[in-house]
Amino acid sequence: MIKTSTQNELIQYVYDELADDAREHLETALMQDDELAEGCSELLLVQRMLNGAVKSPSKRSIDNILNYSKSLSLQS
Amino acid sequence: MNTTTQQSDSALVSLYIAGNESAFEQLVNRHKNKVYTTILLIVKDSYTAEDLMQDAFIKAIHTMKSGRYNEEGKFSSWICRIAHNLAIDFFRKEKRSPMITLEDGSNVFNNMSFSEDSAESLQIKEDTYARLRELIQTLPQSQREVLMMRHYADMSFQEIADATGVSINTALGRMRYALINLRKKMLNSNIAYDKNLYSE
Repeated sequence: MIKTSTQNELIQYVYDELADDAREHLETALMQDDELAEGCSELLLVQRMLNGAVKSPSKRSIDNILNYSKSLSLQS
Repeated sequence: MNTTTQQSDSALVSLYIAGNESAFEQLVNRHKNKVYTTILLIVKDSYTAEDLMQDAFIKAIHTMKSGRYNEEGKFSSWICRIAHNLAIDFFRKEKRSPMITLEDGSNVFNNMSFSEDSAESLQIKEDTYARLRELIQTLPQSQREVLMMRHYADMSFQEIADATGVSINTALGRMRYALINLRKKMLNSNIAYDKNLYSE
């Protein structure tokens, strides 16, 4: 059973928010604890999928924004 | 040569306030996908998401040009928070059920780019991301909120904790349950879960 504090550290590790000393400690634990390593692997997989699920807006919308900004600059 | 390409967001904001429009273009291109996705995940309508994304950036333009921009926070968090608030406001005003409307009838992630993929793997990825987006909507509100703030608004867990009025451990716990629940839902839905598909 993985402790809640360790599970929270795992989340911080996956999102690169863990302090250096805690990260080193966790990485040592990951090499010795198969359950922890598997949990980390699963989190990374879902995280990577979420990162991929980003959609782009249309070029027209971006052009509208940039043109609006330029029009304000011309007025001032 | 574009000298703003490698600049930090903070530097680009300063350049833009000083009148450099190419700095703003760089900022927009750097953050447009996450801003758009943040809105799309809330309103679930591509046309509305396009409109609200424009509103978000226009609001940002006015704030920066009028000298009211607070440089203490990250630009990415700030612009995504504007987008998030606009999307929530839209729902409150409309009081309507989520509906997916797309320009070509295909799934919402139809514009994603997988240049090196075969047609078959491309289709599998498109289907998977479409289903993943649906599954995000089924998460409890508190988990969905943290997931979107961290993934699409680039907010740290401490920033999320501050913004939602909970401890950082609560924010971390919600994120953990969000990811675990998503994984379970994917497995239960027989979603393609091949690690090779998502390798970098």
